[in-house]
Amino acid sequence: MSGMKRIGLTIDGSKVEAFEGTNVLRAAEQAGIAIPHFCYHPGLEVEGSCRMCLVEIEGLPKLELSCSTVVREGMVVRTATERVRQARRDVLEFLLAEHPLDCPICDKAGECRLQDYYDRYGPYAARMLEARERREKKAPIGRNLILDRERCVLCTRCVRFLRQVTKTGELGVFERGVRSEVGIFDGAPVDNAYSGNLVDICPVGAITAGDFRFKTRAWFLERKPSVCPHCGRGCAITVESIKGYPMANGTRRVFRITARENTAVNGFWICDLGRDGRHDIDDGRVTGLMKKGLPAPGLSWTKALAEVAAAVRAVPGPGRAAEIAVVLNSRMTCEELALAKGLFVASLGLSKVFFADRKPGDADGLLLTADRVPNGRGALAAGFAPRLPAPGELTSVRLLLMFGSQLTEDFAGETIVPALAAIPSRFLFAAHSGPLDRLADTVFPVAVPAEKSGAYINFEGIRQAFCRAVEPPPGVVPEGDIIAFLAHSLGLNPGDPDAC
Amino acid sequence: MVENEVRLLPDDDGSWRLEAYLRQGGYQAARKALTAMAPEAVVAEVCGAVIRGRGGAGFPAGRKWGFIPKDATRPKYLCVNADEGEPGTFKDRLILLRSPHALLEGMLIAAFGVGIRTAFIYLRGEYAGLAARLEEAIAEARAAGYLGPRVLGTEFGLDVVVHPGAGAYICGEETALLESVEGRRGQPRVKPPFPATVGLFRSPTVINNVETLAAVPGIIAHGASWFLGRGLPTDGGTRLFGVSGAVRRPGVYELAVGTPLRTIIEVHAGGPPVGRSIKAVVPGGLSAPILLPEELDVAMDVDSLAKAGSMLGSAGIVVIPDGTPMLDVLQVTARFYAHESCGKCTPCRIGTSWIFKTVDRIRSAGGGPEDLDLILRLADGIRGRTLCPFGEGAALPIRALVTKFRDELEQAVAR
Amino acid sequence: MTFTPSPAALERIEKTIALYPEKLAAILPVLHIIQESSGYIPRDAEAWVAVKLAVEPVRVREILSFYTMFRRAPGGKHTLRVCRNLSCSLAGAEDILDFIKDKLGIGPGETTPDGVIALVAVECLGNCDHAPCLQVNGVDRGPVTRETVAAIIEELKAHG
Repeated sequence: MSGMKRIGLTIDGSKVEAFEGTNVLRAAEQAGIAIPHFCYHPGLEVEGSCRMCLVEIEGLPKLELSCSTVVREGMVVRTATERVRQARRDVLEFLLAEHPLDCPICDKAGECRLQDYYDRYGPYAARMLEARERREKKAPIGRNLILDRERCVLCTRCVRFLRQVTKTGELGVFERGVRSEVGIFDGAPVDNAYSGNLVDICPVGAITAGDFRFKTRAWFLERKPSVCPHCGRGCAITVESIKGYPMANGTRRVFRITARENTAVNGFWICDLGRDGRHDIDDGRVTGLMKKGLPAPGLSWTKALAEVAAAVRAVPGPGRAAEIAVVLNSRMTCEELALAKGLFVASLGLSKVFFADRKPGDADGLLLTADRVPNGRGALAAGFAPRLPAPGELTSVRLLLMFGSQLTEDFAGETIVPALAAIPSRFLFAAHSGPLDRLADTVFPVAVPAEKSGAYINFEGIRQAFCRAVEPPPGVVPEGDIIAFLAHSLGLNPGDPDAC
Repeated sequence: MVENEVRLLPDDDGSWRLEAYLRQGGYQAARKALTAMAPEAVVAEVCGAVIRGRGGAGFPAGRKWGFIPKDATRPKYLCVNADEGEPGTFKDRLILLRSPHALLEGMLIAAFGVGIRTAFIYLRGEYAGLAARLEEAIAEARAAGYLGPRVLGTEFGLDVVVHPGAGAYICGEETALLESVEGRRGQPRVKPPFPATVGLFRSPTVINNVETLAAVPGIIAHGASWFLGRGLPTDGGTRLFGVSGAVRRPGVYELAVGTPLRTIIEVHAGGPPVGRSIKAVVPGGLSAPILLPEELDVAMDVDSLAKAGSMLGSAGIVVIPDGTPMLDVLQVTARFYAHESCGKCTPCRIGTSWIFKTVDRIRSAGGGPEDLDLILRLADGIRGRTLCPFGEGAALPIRALVTKFRDELEQAVAR
Repeated sequence: MTFTPSPAALERIEKTIALYPEKLAAILPVLHIIQESSGYIPRDAEAWVAVKLAVEPVRVREILSFYTMFRRAPGGKHTLRVCRNLSCSLAGAEDILDFIKDKLGIGPGETTPDGVIALVAVECLGNCDHAPCLQVNGVDRGPVTRETVAAIIEELKAHG
């Protein structure tokens, strides 16, 4: 970046600087001036077809596309003249002339560029008296994807995304002129791990998500940034949820996870695994303390944790290294891992500290890494050498603290279960219900990453701090709070959580 | 009529073969260029001749050739635009039929001047019937050493491929033509970059019209000043003016650039049939705004017609006789552009269809001045806003029809 | 049922593909060859062409639907293309078209029930000095009159 030349130009009377090679639209955006557009997307090649981004450039007779015009030294750009405003109104009028009045039933309402731009650059008296083109409104074009051809504005972002980013090219444009429409080849629907991005990038309600259809309204959604915990890349995401109206009292639901831009990590996209991660936040959660796998509504956190502290104290100092085992996981934040290191390794002197994590898979050549945990590097940075316990290492253990419910998944069949059952005291701190629940004396409900604040270090060493994006259900707390409380109960100093 | 015996088109259909072409001095210009001239000199000569593109845009061909980077590492291509689809135009068809070797020789000279080894002739699908003769001419030229790896025994070689279109007027636009050759939908590209740097298969490419190239041998044989002298200083040479519609002698007339339109219609094409008069004239293909009888003294060159609010375009002159309902002309025009719009950019995709739907409605169900005003507004929403000149090609003629025949149209649609 | 071109068509197809530096560029001539050989582009030819040119099949469908000269269903044995643009319309093309519609009992875009003649209304054929003009199986005819058109139709019907 530092080697790139800076170009000086004037936009709407203000002197602006941009790096050589930047298009006028981006340069204006960087200067705080929004230029409306449909087909342009910084992650895709320029198309120049919507004509919405036309601006005046001094010295040129016609309006020019700001998305494809590259900044030049001394260029004078005007984005708010009457000529430009008229051009925008005309493009809107053309688009809306062939657009169904679906707003009341369209999922995109509230976040639709046609609506937003009409609001900003209209209004005008509509003059289309002719019958508009009628097309298919519910074409399934892939997993969880529905295409409404009447709403499509032919921006071709979807077609270009599949050709240029995933290079799978499932979509094409058929016919020509006003009869043009987006479609698939029969039997060849959109079938790749990045299909959800099509919903994000469609500027209108043409491509919508099947599992979002008619579920809620965009303006009810609370949108908070977070980091995806499903692989080692840590893509920037936005968690979109509703708590309270119009949900039933007290319930909370994550309706969507969408991509957020981060040029250093994931660019503009996220994979469908990350998108489907909303189920991880809402479904299969441990919602309250459990004893032997059954809900224990009368049990209080203080009492339950006191039992844990007592169990730790019950193992005399010298014996702890052999007799207390802790299983951590790489979904824990850097701060939580630092606390765990401080308490379990430094203060308690434990050596049987293991990690049970999701098994690695295949990297997909785009964003998904082979590693399926978000903080593997964070665990290393905290001074751990993450590994599973060999069943033999658990034979002399009298107290087992399990953070996360992954442990049984890493062992074939039930080989680990007898080893676990032989341990007198077992405590599980987990977000999701699983087969380990009935094996634990007490199960403590724990927060998922989206409900926590902390940092992850991604597989490339990039440290990303994030804040809580959704409130955890009542009675659910992050691991970090639990470890800190335990340390306090034991009269120990867990160390500096920011040491990681 | 031009007295000079150097003509682009032989009179009849029979002398298209190589043998006849050679007898008339064919391929001498190519020999001169390839064996006695430097490529730069060839380009300079064509620049000096001020031959303006005969496809419709009127861009000087020599200047276009000059845009090709000299130091290109990628192979360069020549694309011949034989997609002749501008309504009222049929001159390239006649060149392909009667003088294919003039085209091939012009291609050879152009390719030599710019350093091109492969040429594609984009032949519109509807001219498939001409392909056989064109292929035969190519085979003749190859056999005689005028095409192929070592032309006229020199180091220079040129291969020619005839590439068929399949029914899309928009493929006559140069970047849409490139897309079509590459196997994609014929949709224009954003410019810059221009084809001279990023063209066919991302390589430097020259695109020229059939007639433009067919005139090149004459320029090299007789010199730029000769060519210039046959026309105007800003617009050299003779052109093939096609005349059709209500005239006694429809056909193609090779005349000096700058010949008055009225002369072409009345002296050469015989004027309207007995008892008929001229109501209006389309001077340069359907995309050229219509002219009224009092406007027919305009000189037929690129700049004069532009000044008159129309365009020389493909020099396809259509004479509209008295009694023709202009609403019908408007219908034909609006339908054509709606049908041929490629659909890529918003104003053209939706605007041309909206205009056609409106015209169709008022023609069958009647309408009022507000409908005509709407058509004008829509045309203004298209012009100057589109990705390619098709927008102007649709908007300006429609605008001219509605403006110049406003009273008649209002009466025709009045309920 | 998978599409297989005739050996002659296949040979032409492979020769054609070899003319271009990129395979996809051969799609228009390849589709023309298939249409000449089969009379139209059969549904399963789309996937065949896609494989042959190493592109996604949706690309082939894009081309077939963008360009108007490809028939995607078996058409008539003979194709009548009637121009209705300006010069031909001034010379009475609409009347000729109406005459043909009456005589054949079909409209533009349709094929006679006996499958002999397909009627297509087209834009400018580039033969304006012979207006009104049409093409019979790609061969230019013009200027035509009601009489000459009637004769053409009889000729085509006689050939069957």
